[in-house]
Amino acid sequence: MSRMDALKKTFFEESAEQLESLETSLTDLREGGSSDDTINAVFRAVHSVKGGAGIFGFERLVGFAHVFESVLDQVRHGSLLATPDVIDVLFVASDVLADLVESTRSEVELPADYDDDCRRALQQLMGKSTGDAASGENVESAAPADFDGFDFTPVSVDISDTPDDNLAEQTYTIAFRPKPAMLTGAKDPLALLRELRGFGTLDITADAGALPHLSEFAPDQAYLAWHGTLRTSSTRQDIERIFESIRGDCEFEITELGLPPPLAELDTASASNVATLDRPALVDAAPVAVNTVTAQDAGADETADPAKETRAGGMSKPSTTSIRVDLDRIDRVVNMVGELVIAQAMLSQIIQTLPEETNNQLWKTLDEVTHHTRELKNSVMAMRAQPVKSVFQRMTRLVREVSAKTGKKVHLEMVGENTEVDKTIIEQLSDPLVHIIRNSIDHGIESPAERLTRGKSETGTVRLSADQRGGRIVIEVRDDGAGINSERVLKKAREKGLIDPNATLSEDEINNLIFLPGFSTAEALSDISGRGVGMDVVRRNIQDLGGRITLKSTAGQGMTIQFALPLTLAVMDGMIIRVGNETFVMPISAIVECLRPSRSDVCNLVGTRGTLQLRGDIVPLVYLGDLLQVQATVKVASDGVVIIIEASDGTRLGLVIDELCGHQQVVIKSIEENYHSVLGIAAATILGNGRVAFILDIEKLPELAREEANRSDADRHTGAQSVAA
Amino acid sequence: MPLAAGLKVLIVDDQYSVRQVTRMALEEIGIRHIHESENGKAGFEVASVQPLDLIISDFNMPEMDGLEFLKAVRGSPAVRRVPFILLTGRGDRELVVKAAQAGVNNYLIKPFTSAVLRQKIEQVIGKIS
Repeated sequence: MSRMDALKKTFFEESAEQLESLETSLTDLREGGSSDDTINAVFRAVHSVKGGAGIFGFERLVGFAHVFESVLDQVRHGSLLATPDVIDVLFVASDVLADLVESTRSEVELPADYDDDCRRALQQLMGKSTGDAASGENVESAAPADFDGFDFTPVSVDISDTPDDNLAEQTYTIAFRPKPAMLTGAKDPLALLRELRGFGTLDITADAGALPHLSEFAPDQAYLAWHGTLRTSSTRQDIERIFESIRGDCEFEITELGLPPPLAELDTASASNVATLDRPALVDAAPVAVNTVTAQDAGADETADPAKETRAGGMSKPSTTSIRVDLDRIDRVVNMVGELVIAQAMLSQIIQTLPEETNNQLWKTLDEVTHHTRELKNSVMAMRAQPVKSVFQRMTRLVREVSAKTGKKVHLEMVGENTEVDKTIIEQLSDPLVHIIRNSIDHGIESPAERLTRGKSETGTVRLSADQRGGRIVIEVRDDGAGINSERVLKKAREKGLIDPNATLSEDEINNLIFLPGFSTAEALSDISGRGVGMDVVRRNIQDLGGRITLKSTAGQGMTIQFALPLTLAVMDGMIIRVGNETFVMPISAIVECLRPSRSDVCNLVGTRGTLQLRGDIVPLVYLGDLLQVQATVKVASDGVVIIIEASDGTRLGLVIDELCGHQQVVIKSIEENYHSVLGIAAATILGNGRVAFILDIEKLPELAREEANRSDADRHTGAQSVAA
Repeated sequence: MPLAAGLKVLIVDDQYSVRQVTRMALEEIGIRHIHESENGKAGFEVASVQPLDLIISDFNMPEMDGLEFLKAVRGSPAVRRVPFILLTGRGDRELVVKAAQAGVNNYLIKPFTSAVLRQKIEQVIGKIS
C-alpha cells in the first residue's frame, strides 16, 4: 500500500468516526439538546469530512458536504431554526453523506442523481432561512464557488530578518523580587514569568541568594528573585500592566535600555550563588527551589541541572493523549503475548518435573512471570477494546425509525455504554442488535392503546445494557412488551414441521424455538422484522463470536435476550480432550454437558452407531475417533465420556471421546493462514507440553458426522454386495 | 533564499489524514522540520515554544479555529511575524477575505499538489532552494 493509499484508508476511518458523531449529535439535537455545542459538533463533523475529502480531491463528496455544511452554518448562526422538519432533512443528508463516503471508499459509483433530492431539500432550507435577503446568494454558494478572479495578493515576508533586527524593538531590564508571602496569596510568579516571555525574548537569571538552609525552608515562602532583560516591541505600559495585580506582593523595576546587550554580557551575569535558567518560564516553581537548595548545600555554583532543562522542554510540548495504531500491529503484540502464555505453560510443566529443592525458587519466579504476563495480556486486550457506545448509539435512531413506522411509543434506555469489548466483536454486534431491537418493537411492544388497556404506561421501554461478568461481556436487550406468545410459537413450529407434533415442550423450550432456522412468527411479513434474516442468523452470528445467546420471556411482561460474549477472540476457554493418542480442544461455549453414560442409556438403532437416552431426549452418538480418523481406545460409548454439544442450528450431538483432560485457556492460532481450512477443525493451539492441538469446529461436526454415516453406509452396502457375489 | 531543509513548519488541522497529506507534500519540497497540532490552541502553544518559519492551518477546528488562531498569532509579540497560510476548501472565499483582514499571508485550496504548495509558500517567503 502506498503512503497515499494508507492515508486514504485513515481518512475513511476518520470519516466513519465523524459520521458516527454526526449521527449522535443530530440525535441529541432532535431530543431537544440544541445547545451551541451540539450544533457545532454537527457542523464540525460535516466540515471535517469535507476537509478530508478535499485534500484527496473527492469532488463529489466535497460538493455534497459543502451544501450540507452551508445549511448547518445557518443553523449555527441562528438564521435557520432547528425545527423537527429541518432536523429530518439533516438526518437524510447525513445518510446520503454516509453513502457517498462509502461509495468513494468502495469505488462503487452511485447514480449521478443519487444526492439530487437531498441537495434540493437542503437548498430549500437555505431559501427558508430568516436572512431572506441573503438567500439568493446562499443558494448560489451551494455550489463550491471557485476562486477564479479572486483578488488576493499574497503577503510576502522576509523570514531571514530575525526579530532582533526589528527596529521597533526595545530592550528593558527587569528586576522582579516577590515578597516572601506572595505564594500564600495563591499568586504564582511562574505564571507571571510566562506572561513576560510572551512579550518577546526574555533572558533572565534567578537569584537564589535568599534561599535558607533546607531545615529552615518553608515551602509556602517565595525565596527566589529574577533579573534580566526583555527584548520586545511592546511598550513599557504593556509590561507594567501584568505586574498590576501583584503590585503589593512584589518589588519590580523596569528600565529601558537602548540597545540589546551582547549575549556574552548576559553570561557573566551568572555569577556566584546564582542559578541560571535559560527558560525559567517553563520550569515549575517548586522544582527550581529544591534544585537550587541542593546546589547551595553542596556549596557549588552550578547552573541548573541539564536534566531539569530537558524536562522543562518536554513539559512545554503540548501532548496528545491518543495515537492511531494500525490494528495489525496490535494483533502482532497479541500474538506475541499468546506465545508468551504458551512458553510459560511449558515452563511450568518443566518445573513440575524438577526435584522439590530446586523447583521452589523457580516456582516463585514463575509466579511473578505469570503475574506480569497476565497484566501484559490484559493491557494488550485493552488496546483492542472499545466502548460499546458506538454500537449502542446507532440503535437510538433505529428505535426512532421503527417506532415511527409502527406507530408505537418506545423509549430506549442505555446502561453501561462504556463497557469495553474487543473491536472485532463490536463490529459484529450491530447486526444482531438491530435485528433483536426491531423484533422487540415490532412484535414485543404493544400499541399505545393496547398498553393502556393492560395497565402499562403508554410508552414502551427497550433497555439495552452491557456489563462485564467474570471473563465475559454480557449484552442484554430487555423490553416490557407482551413477551413471546408460546402458543403461537408452538403452533407455528408444528405447522412448519420444525418439531415433532407429539413432543411435549417446556415453556422455555418453546420460546427457544424462535432460534430455529426458517422460523418467523409475524403473521403478515412486515417490512420491519421480516427481512429474511431470522433469529437463527442472529444466534449464528453470536456463536461465531464465541458467544452464547439466551432468551427469557414472561407472557405479558416482556422478554430479555442476552448475549454472553468472550472478552477477546484471541484467547478462548477450551476443554482439553483425548481420543487415542491425540489431544483436541473443544470450545467450552459449545458444550452443553459431559457425562459417563451407563450401558442401559445407550441404544443401538439400525443404521446408527448408537443413540443416547438423555432425560427423555434422544441424542445421536458419534465417535470422534471415527469422524477424525483417529484410532480411539474406547470402542463402546459406555466405556468413555460423552460430550453433548449443540451447534447453532440446534443440532445436538453426543461425541464419544476417551477422556477429559481439563479446562484451559488456549491461544487461537489460525491454520488457514499457514495451511488451508480443514473440515471439522476451526483452528489450532499449542498446549503447555509444547504439542499442537486442534480446536474442533463445532458447527461443522454434524456435517462431518453425516458424511461419515454416508461413508459407512456405502461401506456396508458394498460389503453386502461382495457377500452376495 | 531560504533553504528547504532549514525551514520549520507547523501544520494545524484536526484531521490526521489532512496533516499527513500536507506533511507528505512538504517533505516532497524538501522540508524536514515539521510540527503538527490538532487545533489552534495546541498550535499556539507549539508556536510559543518552537521557532517557526511558517504556519499552515486549517480553518474549522475544535477548541480554537483557524481564524482565532491567526488572530492569536498576530496578537502575540513573540510570534506575530510568523508567516501564516490558511488551508481552505473550494467555496470558502469569504473565509479567505476575513483571514486577509486578520493578516493571513496566503491561502491554499484543497486538494493541492506539492507544486502548488511550493508556489504558495514561495509567494510568501521567497524562492526555496
